[in-house]
Amino acid sequence: MNNNLHQSGVKLLNALSRHADLIMQVYLSGSLNEKQHKPGVIDNLIQLGILWRPEDSSELRLKNAVRSLLEGSLQDERNRQVDANIGSALASLTTLAAHYKEALTHGRFAEADAHLNDVTEHVYSLTENLTNNVRVLFGRINNEFGYVASIDAKIRENELAQRQVSEMLKQLELFRFDELSELAGSNRELRHLLVVTLQQCFSRVTQELAIVQARLLELLGRFREFRGRTRLLKGFLLHMEQQPDFTPGNYANLTQVPMLFNQADSLLAPASVDVSRVEHEDVLQQLVADLTVIHRNTSAQPERAAQHIQVEAQGAVDMTDDALKQAVENYFCHVIDTGQRMTALDYHTQHSLEFDPEAWLYQVIGGYQGLSEEEQAYFAIDTSGEPHPIYSGNYIIRDVELGLR
Amino acid sequence: MISEQGRVLEALLGGKFICQVSDEDAWRFLKTGGNAEALESHLNVLNRTLAKAADGDVFYAAYQTLGDAERKVLSQQFQDITANLMPLVEWLLLVQQANGADVPVTQGSAIRLGELQTTLEDTPAYAEQLAKIARYRMFGSTSTQLEGQLKQVFKRLTELGYLLKPNQDKQIYIATGKVEYLYEVLRFIDETEGLSLAEQAEQAVQQGSLI
Repeated sequence: MNNNLHQSGVKLLNALSRHADLIMQVYLSGSLNEKQHKPGVIDNLIQLGILWRPEDSSELRLKNAVRSLLEGSLQDERNRQVDANIGSALASLTTLAAHYKEALTHGRFAEADAHLNDVTEHVYSLTENLTNNVRVLFGRINNEFGYVASIDAKIRENELAQRQVSEMLKQLELFRFDELSELAGSNRELRHLLVVTLQQCFSRVTQELAIVQARLLELLGRFREFRGRTRLLKGFLLHMEQQPDFTPGNYANLTQVPMLFNQADSLLAPASVDVSRVEHEDVLQQLVADLTVIHRNTSAQPERAAQHIQVEAQGAVDMTDDALKQAVENYFCHVIDTGQRMTALDYHTQHSLEFDPEAWLYQVIGGYQGLSEEEQAYFAIDTSGEPHPIYSGNYIIRDVELGLR
Repeated sequence: MISEQGRVLEALLGGKFICQVSDEDAWRFLKTGGNAEALESHLNVLNRTLAKAADGDVFYAAYQTLGDAERKVLSQQFQDITANLMPLVEWLLLVQQANGADVPVTQGSAIRLGELQTTLEDTPAYAEQLAKIARYRMFGSTSTQLEGQLKQVFKRLTELGYLLKPNQDKQIYIATGKVEYLYEVLRFIDETEGLSLAEQAEQAVQQGSLI
């Protein structure tokens, strides 16, 4: 018997893998196009319970078991069904647990083992089913019902999900842990399965459902807000179509202007540059350096327009020769008169002049260079002194000697 | 260095709308208790007061008392707002319909210009609608090409503060709080003039009218 079951199971799975293309096609499109496939293959699949025909005239469809297997493994978001028949699952658990306990008390250990296996299977499938349902709900929330396009459809989907959540919560109330714990009694395996595992699952699922419910309400609020906005926009458009000359009353003339339309004018203009601020110098220089094009405003500059200029003779300036200049002139005349070479400082001491010797030298050199080129040619000027001890290229003049050429 | 308070004050006095998208720091500053009150006294000196719209999503400066000069400014502004309503509403609906998910443009919505352009180009009805919108005085496009019209519309909307382009190299725009302000203006007009716009739209949908 067991062998037989094994063989037919392998046969079924082989058929699934052999016709994987066909099955996926039916899964995605919903029904089978019988003309594209061999009748033998189709008959085989029908016999194995993979495909079925709901009504005589309708097309072949996938059996629900296969479909939910695919939906579960592929985490397909189109899977909207939340199966929450906890009541019957709990009832079968109670029954199986009773079988197990009876077998134990009568000492039929092989039979008890098989029953325990069944109980384990049921408990795990129940917990898996519950977590799966929550996951499906979360998946739909997380992409905000992205599989339907319009906001109205999203709102309907949201309402469906909310009904499913409350249905699941109602079903979860059927868990009676006191009864389950009584049923498990002092049996360690049963207590582990019926109390510990189920309770953990129960608390996790209720917690997550609470989150799901909150998120759904939040989403619904947002969708309603969206719908409100869309209606507002469309309504306005419609209204303008019907009454193209519509203008709202000027609310700015009301005694109490609504805050919404009370919008102060811009007050601040950009500040201007203060070139005398030293700390801004770097920034300003940078700005000037960054200028690529300089627009000079040539049109509006009245001060650059042509002006009438009165040309008249400049008043002659009378130079009052000061004493120093007079002395230099005398020195020059002295050299001409005597025809002797003479240094400026000798003259200075001879005539016991009162000027500062340095100023005197400057004035002599200045006086020589002040002569016209022609007059300069009569004199020879020679400077005596030495180069600066530290800074090269500087020459310190100690005295000047003047003579005739 | 200018303080945060000074910066926010400058933005407000410059006639800017402060929302989470346009200036998150300033927006948080205003949301933080006490800061708004501290600013208020500075604003009052200049006959301004802090105003908010769209449930505190948007802040701006309003006049504290209204004299003739202020009323004149407000009247002018109001005329601008009403003149711009129609193009803006049509634009909002166009973007909403073209984005495929039927989700209205709200503060923080990202609009990818490239994607929008592709959708508009593929649908002649949308392209026609865009051409109509671009010709409004508010946008003032003279282009006959769809791309030029679209760029002009987005450029104007960015100038007017409805959109923000966070990255100059990418053609992605983000709607600011001013869009929320626009919805509020519509809602206000709807209520004050008793237009019951939402009901009109619903009835039209039920009657199967084409909108």
